[in-house]
Amino acid sequence: MKVPYVEDKPTPGGIRTPSEVDVARMIRVEVESWTPRRGPDWTDILIRMAGTGPSPWVVYTTASAALIVILVAAYLVGSALQLGALATPPAQVHLR
Amino acid sequence: MNSGIEKPMELNPATQFKQLYDQEYLSVYRSIRAVVLDAAAAEDLTQETFVRAYRARHRYIPTAPPGAWLRRIGINLAISHLRRQKLARFLPARLYVAPDRRDYDRAEARDVVGKAMAALSPKLRAAVVLHYYDDMTREEIAAVLGVPAGTVASRIAKAVAIMRKAMASDQESDTRRSSNEGALRGR
Repeated sequence: MKVPYVEDKPTPGGIRTPSEVDVARMIRVEVESWTPRRGPDWTDILIRMAGTGPSPWVVYTTASAALIVILVAAYLVGSALQLGALATPPAQVHLR
Repeated sequence: MNSGIEKPMELNPATQFKQLYDQEYLSVYRSIRAVVLDAAAAEDLTQETFVRAYRARHRYIPTAPPGAWLRRIGINLAISHLRRQKLARFLPARLYVAPDRRDYDRAEARDVVGKAMAALSPKLRAAVVLHYYDDMTREEIAAVLGVPAGTVASRIAKAVAIMRKAMASDQESDTRRSSNEGALRGR
């Protein structure tokens, strides 16, 4: 007589679902199989360190500060010399 | 690997930094690769991590092991790299060059774990690799990722649940495929 197979300790999530221990082991094996093609390259590090200029945030901050200085200076010069829209508007005199 | 047992060291002399580079290169590379899932990008980002670490060596406080500090820089760089790639997709086609993913795709097709890891978000992948590969505690991971330990615990639990589900469905589809092939051969 055939007896149907019944799992006595069912794995949560189904028979095919690996346990947490299995997942941990598989992750470790997978990650350990990752080896870089080039490997450590100290010369490249030295080249990168020598060849790089200032970091982007330094460039952006300096450029923004310079722009603010230019705008303020232009405003001050324009109002001092009464240039363009910064000049005092002519008084409207209506004579009858 | 096992950055938790390293002793803090001074990073100032270049020779000591070179030693640290040789010592930590592989594990930093693997942590980054787990986040980006791209071998070439991971190599480039690993180099960049050490360059940034060397530049910021004066800011390093030797209370935590240097390996954890390097991983923090590396993982942040990797996440920014992915964010930039995501943004770059909105650029016009001529300005955006899609990364060459052939290498990873081949690897992805090869193994179940790779597929399951690809189903996770980069932040979940980072938590998983630091916990299961680097053997870091939740507190150490929290320090590396800059999030509370509770968040780390929930990220690990969520990641494992997603991976288990992905692996189970992958095995199921494999079984279905092989049984279909068997049925076709039987005809």
